[in-house]
Amino acid sequence: MIRVFGLFLIPAISITLLTGCWSTTELNELALVSAIGIDKNEEGEYVGSFQIINPGSVAGSKSTGQGTASPPVTVYTSTAKNLVGLSRNISAKASRRLYFAHTSVVVIAEELAREEGIKNLLDALDRDPEFRTTTAIIIAKNARARDLIKILTPIDQIPAENVIKMLKTNETMSGENINTKTRQVIDALSTKERDPVITGVELTREAEGGKLESIQQTEPESIIQVGGIALFRNDRLVDWAREKTARGIVFLLNKVKETDISIDWKGNEEAVVYNMIRQHTTVKPVIKNGKPEIDVHVKAEGIIGEVQVAIDLSNPDTLKRIEQEVNKEIQGELSKAIEKAKENKTDIFGFGESFHSTYPEHWKRFEKEWNDTYFSELKANIKVESFIRRTGLRNKPYLKDTN
Amino acid sequence: MPIKIRQKKKRNQKKSQVEKEIRTFNLPDDEISENLKENIERIRKITGNSSDLIIRPLKGNDIVNMTAVYIDGLVDSPTVNKFVVDSVFQNIDPQPEGKKDKQGLFEKIFAEVVSIGEVKQLSNWKDVFLLLMAGNTLLFIDDVPKVMVIDTRGGKKRNVEEPPTEVSIRGPRDGFTESIQTNISLIRRRIQNPNLWVETMKIGNITQTSVSILYLNGIANEKIVNEVRTRLKKIDVDSILESGYIEQLIEDQTLTTFPTLYHTERPDTVAGNVLEGRIAILVDGTPFVLLAPVVFIQFFQAVEDYYSRFDISTSIRFLRVLTFMISLIAPALYIAVTTFHQEMVPTRLIIALAAQREAVPFPAVVEAMLMEVTFEILREAGIRLPKAIGSTVSIVGALVIGQAAVEAGIVSPAMVIIVSITAIASFSTPSYAIAISARLIRFLFMLSAATFGFYGIALLFIFMLVHLCSLRSFGVPYMSPMAPLSLSNLGDTIVRSPFWAFKQRPHLIGNQNNKRQGENQKPGPPASRSLKTKK
Amino acid sequence: MEKAKIDAIQLFILIFLFELGSALLVPLAIEAEEDAWLAIFFGLAVGILIFLIFHALYQTYPDSLPTQYMRNIIGNYLGWVLGFAYCLYFLYLSARVLRDFGSMLLTIAYHETPLFIVNLLLILLIIYTVYQGIEVMARTGELLFVILYVLAISGFILIVSSGLIDLSNLKPVLEDGIVPILNVAITQTIFVPFGEAIVFSVILPYLNNPKKAKKVGILALCLSGINLMIVMAVNIAVLGVNLTKRSQFPLLTTIQSIQIADFLERLDVFFMLALIIGIFIKITIFFYAAVIGLGDLFKVTNVKQLIYPLGLVVLLLSNSIASNITEHIQEGLVIIPFILHFPFQILFPLFLLLIVYLKKRKKNKA
Repeated sequence: MIRVFGLFLIPAISITLLTGCWSTTELNELALVSAIGIDKNEEGEYVGSFQIINPGSVAGSKSTGQGTASPPVTVYTSTAKNLVGLSRNISAKASRRLYFAHTSVVVIAEELAREEGIKNLLDALDRDPEFRTTTAIIIAKNARARDLIKILTPIDQIPAENVIKMLKTNETMSGENINTKTRQVIDALSTKERDPVITGVELTREAEGGKLESIQQTEPESIIQVGGIALFRNDRLVDWAREKTARGIVFLLNKVKETDISIDWKGNEEAVVYNMIRQHTTVKPVIKNGKPEIDVHVKAEGIIGEVQVAIDLSNPDTLKRIEQEVNKEIQGELSKAIEKAKENKTDIFGFGESFHSTYPEHWKRFEKEWNDTYFSELKANIKVESFIRRTGLRNKPYLKDTN
Repeated sequence: MPIKIRQKKKRNQKKSQVEKEIRTFNLPDDEISENLKENIERIRKITGNSSDLIIRPLKGNDIVNMTAVYIDGLVDSPTVNKFVVDSVFQNIDPQPEGKKDKQGLFEKIFAEVVSIGEVKQLSNWKDVFLLLMAGNTLLFIDDVPKVMVIDTRGGKKRNVEEPPTEVSIRGPRDGFTESIQTNISLIRRRIQNPNLWVETMKIGNITQTSVSILYLNGIANEKIVNEVRTRLKKIDVDSILESGYIEQLIEDQTLTTFPTLYHTERPDTVAGNVLEGRIAILVDGTPFVLLAPVVFIQFFQAVEDYYSRFDISTSIRFLRVLTFMISLIAPALYIAVTTFHQEMVPTRLIIALAAQREAVPFPAVVEAMLMEVTFEILREAGIRLPKAIGSTVSIVGALVIGQAAVEAGIVSPAMVIIVSITAIASFSTPSYAIAISARLIRFLFMLSAATFGFYGIALLFIFMLVHLCSLRSFGVPYMSPMAPLSLSNLGDTIVRSPFWAFKQRPHLIGNQNNKRQGENQKPGPPASRSLKTKK
Repeated sequence: MEKAKIDAIQLFILIFLFELGSALLVPLAIEAEEDAWLAIFFGLAVGILIFLIFHALYQTYPDSLPTQYMRNIIGNYLGWVLGFAYCLYFLYLSARVLRDFGSMLLTIAYHETPLFIVNLLLILLIIYTVYQGIEVMARTGELLFVILYVLAISGFILIVSSGLIDLSNLKPVLEDGIVPILNVAITQTIFVPFGEAIVFSVILPYLNNPKKAKKVGILALCLSGINLMIVMAVNIAVLGVNLTKRSQFPLLTTIQSIQIADFLERLDVFFMLALIIGIFIKITIFFYAAVIGLGDLFKVTNVKQLIYPLGLVVLLLSNSIASNITEHIQEGLVIIPFILHFPFQILFPLFLLLIVYLKKRKKNKA
């Protein structure tokens, strides 16, 4: 028995002790990267900005007594021809190894996305086991990614986290943007049946947002805000969709959770607000006369959120009329979205995908000229059914009926 | 080749016999002499005239010389006074015929005078000294070549008290004592059945300790009883001072940190196990009784589980397995996560951990080792010190050192939390034997986590499983009834099914006769109240 | 041959874990795209036939190892050579699986660690396990089975509850007809993992109740096949064909996509545990078969003496088998099935069975 133990334990222990620890990295040897920004400079090289968390100065961990004397994040910038090079070049500046597992957002400059496309950027992210493809990806609209990365944010101290939370809240509250993950973009890029969409983010005020003073006031000098949805054709940014059009896109992707739909009422613009709380959109491809068509069916449920004119909501007929108006409004948004996509000849909704899985034999015919011919001539039949379930605490507004 | 080996074996056997003779003290085994004086001298010589040897000459009348010999402190003095000395005085017939027939007088005293249960006559010195040392009183009569051995064993004993190591909220409050007779009686009182068989033997060449095996005939597996018997008989050592000696001498596998025998101070635990077909080994001089064969999962079962309802017991058992796992791998997980798998921790938490570790000068392993070793030192110090000081040590250790170490930046607060959780978890395992083996293995886990992260932990864990599966306790696979699977016994493992579902005794342990209760033991409301309509 | 017995449940579990082994983790039959699960199904069907072939041989010689009955069937000399070839085959396969494992682990987490060390640690564990014999292997299997199933079920619940499954990814079914699927089945799934069950011809003689072998074997193959089908279908439903095809380890990517309540994410450790358990059992069984077979062929009285040196052989072989992962996988997909799997899993057993049949007929006539 002793021999048995000798045979196993001695090699095991000697390996353990002799070889040291190859893959170990102590926490204080790592620089946690919270966000990556990618720009392009005049020489055609990539400029990478890496937002690195300073754990010591993030609130909630008060061990080092520095307080908030130093900013919660530090940004390092480097240039290289490829992404791996970017991160390697940082080592000449930063004291620690960059660690990407906790990266929560990747920012790509609009200019770069428009001119060169994003195809070449994503492979490193896809391949590296450290980087998570569930990381969000956004486009810096009218700005350099570097400027966005540099901005300090109030409330949520780590800017990247702030951006992610903002996108998520906005996605659920308004349905006007989508929190796109790197993997979805890569998926869309890898197939002809779908084109990617990526949420855009912009900066308000061209001020210096990288100083602590900028958030040491009640109204920060510079703020990051949602800037619509970027439409891509293959891997190039071609157009932006905002507000209602953007919402139409999100509807068609069946990603809307909650939103407010305002409708006109008897000449008063946007006088009634419908709080949608649930919806389901189905997209069904059909083939009529050998031509592809698409049936869109939206089913929405909601409550009345606000009424600015005097309406008697205790009358079921009134609710029916409001429902019809809502239907019209949603339908309009959806057609706008589809029009926009057709204009740009980019199948961001993945209609191609659904044709492929439903009509594999027809798809072979469509496949080659899908974006150019079939998609841009695609007929969409949109049907919306919305329901008002409740009207809030009051059934009539306090306004007296004036007309 | 084989012939040579055989020769060698023979030589070894001879050698060992000689050795044994040297090791055992040569007690006389010749006949007892007629001469009283000679006998007494002999006793004096062999015992070195020890000061606690009492030699009491008795003279019933002028003619007959008698002498009682006993060891002070081992005998029950009132018994000796009242039933030996007194009775002899009272009842000796002062008639002269006694002079002639001393043999008859001896017989008379044996049959009529000594009013004590166990009395025997011996004519050979062979066992006399052992009996004397066990607390018997010897009675010699001049001119009779015999000795009367009167059972007067007694002396000071500890009372039956609540066992300090196994406290229960609900359940009997008695615990074993150092006296083997008391211990056997405590079990007998619980199982009043003639099939509860006890076999006693003396083990230890010098100490001659009584060791009893106790089992239920017809329920315990004959093969295992025989195995226990042979293993006990094989023991050939100088001394047995505690059941731990026996445990280490009869276990199946010595190169393991896991206990393959169960020890307990509670008679109800022993009774319960004996009823399942296990064998109890009692050793004189210790309140710890051994149980064999045992399985791994038993160490997570407290006797109280059977006293409270099954749902509660089951949840508590799950908790115990969880705490065992925590006490085994919590520090290892911390090391693995902070040095290898930082991606697994939620971002917020990793930032908090990173902030704490900023100032710590050591790698996570060293930090963890430092804290664990400190903790083990504190624990050991706490056990050995007198109770009053023990608590002071723990306060100084836990509060002052912990707090100061964190403030000095030597360890991170998270590490202190991990070590504390580990410590508390290891205290909540009901069996000390398994908790202490977890303490040992924990360090292995920490080392493997430090070198290979989760891979190391997983490999060591599988290694542990393989090792556990390879263990046997008296032939019974250690991981049964999970591996090998025995469906009908799964009800009393990590789960404790309701009593009415305990239909069978453990298969691998007991006899073929496994049924342990009648049909339809499930209680319920009276039929008139139930929703079912009668057919 | 050891003097030990395992029961039907243990055999079932060993086969089950063995089949899942590495197949769970790699993109099995992904060349069949959306219909990967169908290709697995065909593989399973043929795999059962292969099982029936060597089961028939086992029925004829219920108490002897394949290395023994081969010598009975085709003569001492030829049988010995064939038995030896089988042992080498098993040894080679254990080295292959070990290499698979090492490369996976390095890719996932331990980039800087040398392959040799990672493999060495696992092979040490396996050597220890084989030292303990088949009974301990079987018992360990029972415990690992429970762990693996708990992992699988909780993983499945997490995947479903995080809303990742998109069944439309599994459509269209049979886009290019059945030919490509059969093609994948013939070149891949029949042999790996189902045909590999041929190694159980060494384990079967240990079964305490030979009558149950057939039922248990088929059930275990079916259950593992169904599990593999589910896993592959879930992978494709979550990731889509494209990504699954591009992934070295689709299950890892699937698990990485789980995000629940901002807390239950990055659960790679699930995958790693499953990986280690599955591979551990698989190599152990291959290795055990090789050791027992060689012990029998060379009439070694104490088989344990073989374990350590053979373990080193496997270790060295696993390191030198290929120079990089692509070469390694290519070998596994293109070359090995035809020059090794096909003869060893189908041709030779069929041939042996034929001779047994002819011999029996001769006997009956005479």
